[in-house]
Amino acid sequence: MNFKFIKTDLVLGIRSWLRSKGTVFWTILFPILLIMIFGAIFSGSDEVKYDLVLQDLDESSDSHNLTRLLSESGFFNLKNISKSKDISTYMKDNDLSVGLQIPEDFGKKLAESIGNPFAKVNLTYYIDPTDSTIPNIVRGIISGLVNGYNDMITLSPSIVSMEERTILGEDFDYIDFFVPGMIGFTIMTSMVYGSIERNTKLRKDGILRKMLTMPVTRYEWIFSKMLFMLFLSFISTFVILIVGILVWGLNFQINIFLFIIVICTSFMFSGLGMIIGRFVKDQETADMAGGAITFPMMFLAGTFFPLDQMPEFLQATAQVLPLYYVNEGFRNAMIYGNLEKTLFFTGATVVFALVFFLIGVFLTKWKED
Amino acid sequence: MEEKTVQCPKCGKSITTFGNPGEVVKVDCPSCGNEGKVTFQKIIEQDDSAIEVYNLKKVYGDLIAVNDISFSVKKGEVLAFLGPNGAGKTTTVEMIESIRVPTAGVIKIYDKDISTSFDQVKENIGILPQEFFSYERLTVRETLLYFASLYKNSVNVDEIIDSMNLKDQEKKLYMNLSGGLKQRVGVAISLVNNPDIVFLDEPSTGLDPKARREVWEVIAGLRDKGKTVFLTTHYMEEAEFLADRIIIIHKGKIIAEGSLDELISKYGDESILRVKNCKSTNLINVLKEKGFDAFTEGNGDIAIKIKYKEQILEILSILKYECVDYSTIDIRRSNLEEIFLKLTGAKLREAG
Repeated sequence: MNFKFIKTDLVLGIRSWLRSKGTVFWTILFPILLIMIFGAIFSGSDEVKYDLVLQDLDESSDSHNLTRLLSESGFFNLKNISKSKDISTYMKDNDLSVGLQIPEDFGKKLAESIGNPFAKVNLTYYIDPTDSTIPNIVRGIISGLVNGYNDMITLSPSIVSMEERTILGEDFDYIDFFVPGMIGFTIMTSMVYGSIERNTKLRKDGILRKMLTMPVTRYEWIFSKMLFMLFLSFISTFVILIVGILVWGLNFQINIFLFIIVICTSFMFSGLGMIIGRFVKDQETADMAGGAITFPMMFLAGTFFPLDQMPEFLQATAQVLPLYYVNEGFRNAMIYGNLEKTLFFTGATVVFALVFFLIGVFLTKWKED
Repeated sequence: MEEKTVQCPKCGKSITTFGNPGEVVKVDCPSCGNEGKVTFQKIIEQDDSAIEVYNLKKVYGDLIAVNDISFSVKKGEVLAFLGPNGAGKTTTVEMIESIRVPTAGVIKIYDKDISTSFDQVKENIGILPQEFFSYERLTVRETLLYFASLYKNSVNVDEIIDSMNLKDQEKKLYMNLSGGLKQRVGVAISLVNNPDIVFLDEPSTGLDPKARREVWEVIAGLRDKGKTVFLTTHYMEEAEFLADRIIIIHKGKIIAEGSLDELISKYGDESILRVKNCKSTNLINVLKEKGFDAFTEGNGDIAIKIKYKEQILEILSILKYECVDYSTIDIRRSNLEEIFLKLTGAKLREAG
């Protein structure tokens, strides 16, 4: 193994990359812009009437008064569920994003609170964090109604308040859903286009022909290029996470699966780029072919929007797209903390990476016909 | 005439046949009637050869790009492989560089068959591929460091920068260099391992005359350092200026080879001495009396065919007495363009 070459190739590759403002933009600034834009868009939208699951555990006159207030506000289609049901499960099963639970001792506590300025009564607000829009809007409406209720009943503004819970068990926002997808998408585009460039532009410029006549093997060359591509992937991931934390208060866990998925995604999409570059030799056409594959995949693999918002046949399509496994792998490893799903999606990502990369390496030829 | 015994591939019978070096002889098997061909390889002096090529052939479908060519390149020689676009120059050089796989034939570099031992000669050769462009966003120095890092034994990059006159450009990005400088850097890259043999595939194509001249000077410098240079070109001036020996290739076949003088004397017309604006009416007669083949051209110039250079002095002394009022004289000999035209019926830059 020629480590002198591998080191030089990596160092000069990074230097050359930093000098290309366009590439730096697409690798780092573009994802940041997307995070900012999507975050801003889905932090405030308008709807007219929303489905709201309502579970009244108290069933007192006070709770009925609150229910009537919500119903008469005109903002909600109330889905009343019985005490015996689990509100989270009901919401998940019925694809509903928001729910409100009135506690068992609502009326009693409300009565106790009159004349006691420190008394509190909590309503529990359930949301689906993968829905970027509705929970934010509904939260605002309910808050307004609850404040009105406070004024009406107790003449105190803060006795009845809301405690928010997500049906996933923790407090997630749309940005928590979006950022992992953004990481997967960014690594995918960097790797596919980087690989296409290596296999088309460098071939056209005679660099591959020259390499063939020099004392370096194809495997050493691919290995050194992959080190550089991994550097890019980790830089992109790091920058996206930092922006997510600083601007949108992103919650995530760092664990070994995050690293495994970043590495596997890099190998997977480099392999895909090699395969495209092998069959489409002109760079512009290869770029178009790359776009034709990556852009539909970006939308269909649940990068920006949850898959369950799509028609069923598109949801089925996602199951065959490697980016879907990457996105879900990142989400489960970083955000949802679901070990079983993390293992499944990470495993699938490893398998896709092996298949694509090995085929890509096999197909990459230096020799001319 | 050589004798060669081969076995019939169909029935296995031994067949003896005769032929000259380089000749392909048709053979019929006396036992089964199977028809075949026997190739008698050209005898090439091997002692001082850096590169030897035997019966090299490259076929793409119905197209024979290189058709059974054999030649050698001597150590320290600048060989120009001259031919029009599509003649098979690049295919040939890329087979020698092991970039393309030959359909048939044997290539040896320093007596090593490159089909099995190319890795052993990589450290000794430097290559500038056709239409080569290096990494755009590396400086000249970084580019040379990059390619030098590939070799076990590389030359100090500063030495190459100095010797290739690139000191003022070393910090410039490759993408910002002129075409001539890019080619100069390309040649410099091919020298980072101090190779004995340098392959330059159309190094001046697409350059303006000034840049082309700069590249020629660099190549002339390689010749002066004793490097073996294999140069492919479709510019006859380049071959005339740089080459010790020229091989002319056309439609995949070698049609002529030798030094410039050898090619001209073998294939060129006689040189012509022209006397312009001579008012003497007697000059032609005097020249003819002296045995010269002289005639008056349409524009009134007097043209005299020159067979030996000694005849030039004799003509000048005749002019001294017979035509003192001529304005100019010029002597012109055949060039490679005319030789190519004569051999193929096509112009060098139009053929292919």
